[in-house]
Amino acid sequence: MANQPSAANNNGRRHKSEGPQKHIIAFIFSILLTVIAFAAVAAGEVNETFIYIILIGMAILQVFVQMAFWMHMKDRGHIYPIIGILFGITIAITAVVMAQYWVWW
Amino acid sequence: MSGHSHVDGQLPHEPEKATLEGRNKVLGFWLFLGGETVLFGTLFSAFLALRHQVLDGPTEQELFSLPLVAAATLLLLTSSLTSVFAIQAMHNNQVKAMINWLIITVLLGLGFLGLEIYEFYHYVHEGHGFTTSAFSSSFYTLVGFHGAHVAFGILWISLLIAQVFKKGLNVVTAPKIYVAGMYWHFIDVVWVFIFTVVYLMGKVG
Amino acid sequence: MAHAHAVKRYTGLLDWLTTVDHKKIGILYLFAGFFFFIIGGLEAVLIRIQLWEPMNDFVSAETFNQLLTMHGTTMIFLAAMPMIFALMNAVIPLQIGARDVAFPFVNALGFWTFFFGAVLLNVSWFAGGAPDAGWTSYVPLASPVYSSTHGVDYYVIGLQIAGLGTLIGGINFLVTIINMRAPGMSFMRMPMFTWAAFITSALILFAFPALTVGLVALMFDRLFEANFFDVSQGGNAVLWEHIFWIFGHPEVYILILPAFGIISEVISTFSRKRLFGYSSMVFATVLIGFLGFMVWAHHMFTTGLGPIANALFSIATMLIAVPTGIKIFNWLFTMWGGSIKFTTANLFAVGFVPTFVMGGVTGVMLAAAPADFQYHDSYFVVAHFHYVIVGGLVLGLFSGLFYWWPKMFGRVLNETLGKLFFWLFYIGFHLTFFIQHFLGLMGMPRRVWRYLDGMGFNEMNLISSVGAMLMGLGTIVFIINMIVTGLKPRNASNDPWEDGRTLEWTIPSPPPEYNFAQTPLVRGYDAFWKEKMEGKNAMTPAEPLGPIHMPSPSILPFLMSLGLFIAGFGFMYHNYYIGIGGLVITFGCMFFRSVIDDHGFHIEPEELQDKGVKA
Repeated sequence: MANQPSAANNNGRRHKSEGPQKHIIAFIFSILLTVIAFAAVAAGEVNETFIYIILIGMAILQVFVQMAFWMHMKDRGHIYPIIGILFGITIAITAVVMAQYWVWW
Repeated sequence: MSGHSHVDGQLPHEPEKATLEGRNKVLGFWLFLGGETVLFGTLFSAFLALRHQVLDGPTEQELFSLPLVAAATLLLLTSSLTSVFAIQAMHNNQVKAMINWLIITVLLGLGFLGLEIYEFYHYVHEGHGFTTSAFSSSFYTLVGFHGAHVAFGILWISLLIAQVFKKGLNVVTAPKIYVAGMYWHFIDVVWVFIFTVVYLMGKVG
Repeated sequence: MAHAHAVKRYTGLLDWLTTVDHKKIGILYLFAGFFFFIIGGLEAVLIRIQLWEPMNDFVSAETFNQLLTMHGTTMIFLAAMPMIFALMNAVIPLQIGARDVAFPFVNALGFWTFFFGAVLLNVSWFAGGAPDAGWTSYVPLASPVYSSTHGVDYYVIGLQIAGLGTLIGGINFLVTIINMRAPGMSFMRMPMFTWAAFITSALILFAFPALTVGLVALMFDRLFEANFFDVSQGGNAVLWEHIFWIFGHPEVYILILPAFGIISEVISTFSRKRLFGYSSMVFATVLIGFLGFMVWAHHMFTTGLGPIANALFSIATMLIAVPTGIKIFNWLFTMWGGSIKFTTANLFAVGFVPTFVMGGVTGVMLAAAPADFQYHDSYFVVAHFHYVIVGGLVLGLFSGLFYWWPKMFGRVLNETLGKLFFWLFYIGFHLTFFIQHFLGLMGMPRRVWRYLDGMGFNEMNLISSVGAMLMGLGTIVFIINMIVTGLKPRNASNDPWEDGRTLEWTIPSPPPEYNFAQTPLVRGYDAFWKEKMEGKNAMTPAEPLGPIHMPSPSILPFLMSLGLFIAGFGFMYHNYYIGIGGLVITFGCMFFRSVIDDHGFHIEPEELQDKGVKA
């Protein structure tokens, strides 16, 4: 079921015999982000805050890639899932902020 | 109208969304994952609050070994890719390929679980038991909750593989497999934060 | 395609144990919730008897702590929540023109897990003492060191099981409202009660997992010697307060939002006017829902979070007064110029408005952090939250019960007894709690077993106790009303109030199991009223008459929850065979649910004709 690439095709319903390429690209991207994170820690001896920022940044990027491509959140008809997950993330971040600032003093 | 009108005929392109029941299931599961996000967020917050309370037990730097974590990460990440291949095969109506990818997913998940069990066993011998300190309790609870999710996912996907063998792929089984795939990705996404926050940040200090 | 599945129909008790019909589940929720409302009410009466005179010896200090804890826990989790779910089950699918909820099976599972969790919690009375660390179960009081009996274990495990039921109930209603609306029923045409239920379900979804984690941590501390909250092992007691209130504050909005929805419906119906400012009502509901997650630390002003946190949470809390105020004014403007009928339902609704405003005003007083240091842990707080929960939620619930009783049971509740109930309850309520503001300002601490003579507390406590008796008396009148009404014939019409505005009033009371023989076409807000104004007495159908697919009844939800119940006891008493045995039952049921396809059955058009479909 090969189909011609065409701009109008992107969101169509019938023909989407999606190839594995984009998932493999997402996979390579994920591996890359993971390696950067591990390497940053393994390198050591750098500013702690700087490493923290890199680690968190890599994690957020990777989660974004995986949710968009593997969980299909970039596709049509995912507005309620996006709202649901985003709100969940908001509460989760609130809880983490709480743990950072308001538990020990 | 609903249920089984497609069973014997040609499956639609996205069989998980062909019936109202299927659409309900997918949406309900997404919302459930939103709740799971809060669940893990709260577990993370408890861990972050308590992670420096090691008392006499070993510290994070002494305990964690990065190669082991890297291996576990690679296994779970790859299993996420194979599960997305399974869903893709389902969308192309290639039942055999789908089952094969699901079996590979389960095997990779088992590998991950094996590594985690080995890891925990090792930690306990290093004097890092569940009751050692607030750090150890929150560590085992957070990582253990994730491990329990992996274990449940393995059992669930195995059961679904058996069901597809018996009943074939239809508009009743397709949503189940799609939803299980979402669950598996979610587990992987949680693991991304676990290896970042627990292991890597633990190594940094 | 003749998929002739034999229709399994049970009768009697087995029918109730296996039902997946949202209307029957609503009735189950109602009676279970009302039963626990009576239990919690009796506990309250015992508390008030103990406090009616200084240095009373009616109950011991230990018993008083247990009564206090169980009163709060029972009323919130086992009485209020299920009665909210009762109305949501009974009404939401009808209001959006659906034949059932999205997950009928899960709906039944939600009820039974709630029920078995509630029973487990109350078994504690007969098993060496109920939980006694307050409904907030603060550590270290609730830690194994200071609470060495099994009481708090019952709290932890019972709430865990009941909370699970609430969570899946919340997901069910979210999906129902998103996916199952009739053609034309857009979000901005949904009745206000449906909107409130929608936001409440969202709050349940995002708040209850935090409780799950908190209870798991406390359970690990108590049963498996973990150290989350054990300060001597590096744990932190404030962490529990945070986790509890990150759940707990949304929980109080989970309770009050449905009441807002009910009041909107009742006031609009009995003023015979469209709800004033519908879209601002929706906006206010959403805003309250969101802000509800961002104010939890106002319960913790005195723990010492510091001026920045206290200021932040103070301001966020006061912000909530804005959307709430919008709602109050909208109700007032809805009544203004309407031709108001004071039925019992409307009496409760109209009585709600000033009462809730009083609770809201004391709420803003408490939100001012410096002032809160004075009010904290005094009877002022007790008066405040009873004004919002009893004066808000409970009045709203009774309003909704009187309003929708004919739709649920086919019988209109007796109005004379209803009005007697209202006045007894309303006067009793203000007598009990108004005076407690002043007790608090005079310095009487909450949660005390007894107080000394000569502190100036005597008369006020006596008045408060008399009020509590009046509320009890009112509730007895309500029970009599239920019985008297139940003995009458089932003769309520489709639209017994004659001014029904929404879809539930277009179908028989009680509705047939498939609700709508033909899915209605919705052409505007207040769908039925719109048709009435155009001289029609029924909705335009959106589909031809056809076979209706119904889910089959199942005993599995009951067994699954029973498994959790058994497992709870097993783990509590460290008998792991029983614990694992219970889990095997639960997971075994899940296995069968997954493996056995539920084809359901069809109700054929001829059968619909037999039952007399109205034109």
